[in-house]
Formats: sequence, structure tokens, C-alpha cells
Amino acid sequence: MQRNQIIRTRLGWKLLDGIERLVSALWPARFKGSVGRVLLLPAVLLIGILVIGLGYMIEYSFHELDLSTYRLKDEYSLVNYAVIADRPVYMRVLNRTLLAALIVSVTTVFLAFPYAYMLVRTRSALTRKFLLIALFLPFFIGQVVRAYGWLIILGKQGLINSLLEGLGLPALNLIYNYPSVIFGLIQYMLPFAILLIVPAVAAISEDVELASEGLGANWISTFRHIVLPLARPGLIGAFVVVFTLTLTDFAMPEILGGGTTDFIASAIYDSFFQLSNAGLGAALSMILVMIGSVIVAAIFYLAGTGTLGVREQSR
Amino acid sequence: MRGARSKKIVLWSIIWFNIITLSLPTVIVIGASFTAGEIIQFPPEGFSLRWYQKLWQLDDFQPALMRTFYVSIICTLISIPVGTLAAIATVRYRFRFQKSIQVYLLLPFTIPLVVSGISMMIFFGEIRILGSLWPVGMALCIINLPFMIWSVSASVNALDPELENAAYNCGAPPVQAFLTVTLPAVMPGVITGSMLMFILAFNEFLVSLFLTDSRTVTLPVQIYNSIRSIITPDLAAVSVIYIVIALIAVWLLDRLVGLEIFLRSK
Repeated sequence: MQRNQIIRTRLGWKLLDGIERLVSALWPARFKGSVGRVLLLPAVLLIGILVIGLGYMIEYSFHELDLSTYRLKDEYSLVNYAVIADRPVYMRVLNRTLLAALIVSVTTVFLAFPYAYMLVRTRSALTRKFLLIALFLPFFIGQVVRAYGWLIILGKQGLINSLLEGLGLPALNLIYNYPSVIFGLIQYMLPFAILLIVPAVAAISEDVELASEGLGANWISTFRHIVLPLARPGLIGAFVVVFTLTLTDFAMPEILGGGTTDFIASAIYDSFFQLSNAGLGAALSMILVMIGSVIVAAIFYLAGTGTLGVREQSR
Repeated sequence: MRGARSKKIVLWSIIWFNIITLSLPTVIVIGASFTAGEIIQFPPEGFSLRWYQKLWQLDDFQPALMRTFYVSIICTLISIPVGTLAAIATVRYRFRFQKSIQVYLLLPFTIPLVVSGISMMIFFGEIRILGSLWPVGMALCIINLPFMIWSVSASVNALDPELENAAYNCGAPPVQAFLTVTLPAVMPGVITGSMLMFILAFNEFLVSLFLTDSRTVTLPVQIYNSIRSIITPDLAAVSVIYIVIALIAVWLLDRLVGLEIFLRSK
């Protein structure tokens, strides 16, 4: 037994020495400066697949659909962009999506903050565990399943309408409308927002709050003047993430909106798969990417990058 | 403490509202899956396991479940080395264009999923790998890779570089120092990251919608397709599988690294 172990250890060392020699042969010491770049290479190549795909998209967006062959014409043009600017339906879809993104991100951040705050501040380990599980369980259940759950609750013969019927009240149309999509999105985004706010709250020393209260501030002014400003990086981070996720969402408007409240993503999908117009869909995609980037850049410019900022390790 | 009671009441009423909206769909889906009736209604018509039984007899359910496991495992297996190395590189090494590289690595998050999905569909179509299953796993790895890099770099940040220096000073060559000091120290981040990658891939629907066809359809896409036609309790039974897997993931994450890892300040 012991002998075996010694042999195995010795083998292990031999093996490690071999690897070491191999690495130093392949990787002479003078290249040491490029270790970082080599470690990055696989990730850069992998994401390169996405970048190449995006290249195709950009290229497609500049070719008009030839209606006689249903292929994209060879020559470059801005026709697709002109069509989008021309048709009021796209402006309506865009406005609807932007409004939803604004409502959802403001509401979600407002609802998420108390949760994140209590998660950090609670003294009871049991409460903390309970809050964490209530947070992670839905986070780990995908959007489709959660939207389906809401369909059962809000649907025609759903939970709420059955309750109303039991009370002798008329049934309500709770799904396939804008508010239901907004509501579904808010509950889908909550875990993201909470997880992004938590680190910012954890960074606030409780003593600061106690000092504020000791000096006579009530909890509302302590929140307004101390906690919220200090938690700002987390709030901005949560706002930006929820905003962009809502802006680009597909499943909620499709499932809870039932075709009545198309978002930009649905318009892109329809251009590709219903109209078979890849050029138009690609142009819509480019517009979505641009609007998202401009808005995020504007928020970062006005309010700072929050917790999403590029951090460098302090040495 | 001043006004501690009103603070408690206000905060906890918002929190309970959150808890209820977060958990209600889950509870309702579980309840609906045990109905004995043909349709989902309230109150449910008796209790039975018939929908689970029916699920198991469906031809397309088991292959779809297996395919979902397959793509999730591929996604996780690719993400572990790629994400870990990238995280170590971004935190520990300095190179030119550092900021641009960080922005590049975040591209999967900044490009909308619908755009990423169609982009990769076009590219995979061009190189004739569309229709196979492994590219789906790879695509899911790409779109969620920043999660892996984030969780590992949190661990790398927490590791004191002096420990690695100590290993070098004691004569450990680079690979040995990496395997015996760096890697064990970043393990919690790798575990958290791989679990996130797996569970996100297991649930991913939009990119999979573009990259799969009727022969390679994965479970989330199949659920989505069935939702659109008619609501029957067998969908609720499928959803319960998702809830059970999420429960296992939460439990595992708590056991292996502790959910409290997400409460660290930045």
C-alpha cells in the first residue's frame, strides 16, 4: 500500500517534470511576456465565431432582397434601412420596446433594492438562506417555463379568472396585452437586478448607516442621503442590464403578448423567417445593436459605469 | 433605531411581493402538473400522475431531454478551460489594448441574443455545420462565456499573488505552481461558473431556436413550440423537470461553494 503510494507519487513527479520540460521547450523563457496573450487566445477565438457571424449580418444588411429570386442582390444599397425608416410599423415597435425597457428597468430596480438590502443586512442566517433560495430557484428556471407559469395563472381559465368566477365577478383579459408582458418581464428580471445590486450594498459599512441614525436621521433620509447614493454603482449596473435585456427580449412578448405586442426582436425574427428577407432582418438587427449601445454609452457617460465598469486589479 | 418598525414594514412588504411573484409560477406549475383532468383549470380535477406517465410515453420527449443534456455538457466542458484561462489572463497579466480586450470579451453580453443567434445560424450554415448538435453547445458556450470569466476572475481577485510568488521562490516551476497553487485557489469560481454555464445552457431557448431543427430540437425550444398551440398539462409536467433540476442546482451550489458567495462586496 505504502509502496504503491510512493511509486504513484514518484510517477506523478516524473509526469509533472515531463510536462514542465515540454512546456519550457515549447515556451522558451524569452516569450514569458506573452503568457497573458496565450491564455486569452482560446476565448478570443471562441468569441471570434460570434464576430464572424456578425460580419455576415452587417454585410447582409446592405443588400436588398430581389423579389423575383428571393435572394439578396449583389450590389450594395441602403434600401433596407430606408424601408425601416419609411414604415411606421417599425417606429411603433421601436417605441413600444423602448417604453417597456424603461418601465421594466425602473420598476425592477425599485423592487430589487429592498431585497438586496435585506439579503445583506439581515442578522438571521435562516432568513438569508431563504431569501437566497427564493432568488436562485427562479433564476435557474428558464424564461419559457416561467412565462408558461404566468400563462396558467393569468390565462382565460387560469387561476385568477377562476377565483373571480368563484366570487361571481366577470372574467378579465389578463394575457395577450402590454401590461402582462411588462409584468412577466419584471418578474423575469428581478433576480438579475438583485444579484447586481447586492455587491454594492455589501460594500456599504453598516456603521455609516448607524452614524446617520445616531445623528438623528430617520430611515428614509438615511436611505436617501446615505445608502442609495453609496449603492449607486449597483443600481446603475442593474438598470443597464435590465434595460438591455428587456430591449432585446423575445420570449416574453411572444408568449405573454401572443402576437399583440411585438418587440424589436420579434420584428427581426419575422423578417428572417416569415418574410424571408434576410437583408431587412439584418438591418433591423444592426439598428437594435446601435440603439442598445448608444443608450448604454449615454447612461455610462452620464452616471458612470457602475459595477459593470472594467476593473483593474490593484497591485 | 428611529422608525425601525416602519422601515421593516415597508421593506418587507416589497420583499414579500417579490417572493410571491418569483415563486408563484413555480408553485402553480407544480400544482397543475398533477391534475387528473384533460385541461388545466382551477381548482384542479383530482390528483394523478398520468401526465408524467404520458410524458414518458411521448416519442419526442426523451430524445429532446437527452439532446438538452448533451448541448449543456458540451457548453460546460468548453467553458471551463477557455473561461478559466481568460479570467486568469485578464486579472493577472497586463497587455496592450487591455480595455479593448475586456470589451471584446463582453461582446456576447452586449450583442442581443436574437442577433447573436441569427448571426451564428448564418455562419454555421455557411460552413455547413448547421443541423449538428455540437455547434449548438458551442454557441451556448459563446453567449454565456462572460458568466464563466466573471465567476473565475472573482476567485482570482481573491487570491493573493504572493502565494504564487512563494511557490516560485520555493523552486516550483510554472506549471507546478499553476496546478498546485493557482488552480485550487480559483476552484470555487470554476465550480460556480460551470454550474451557471450548465444551467443557463439547459434553459437556453432563443439561440437554440435558430440553431436547431425538428431533428435536433432541444427541450426549451420544444416547450416554446408547444406553448404556442395549446396548453395541456403535459407541458406542466415537463416544466416540473426544469424546476427539479433548478432545485438540484441550487442545492449543489449551496453545498459546494455556498450561495453566500454571491453576497461578497466588490
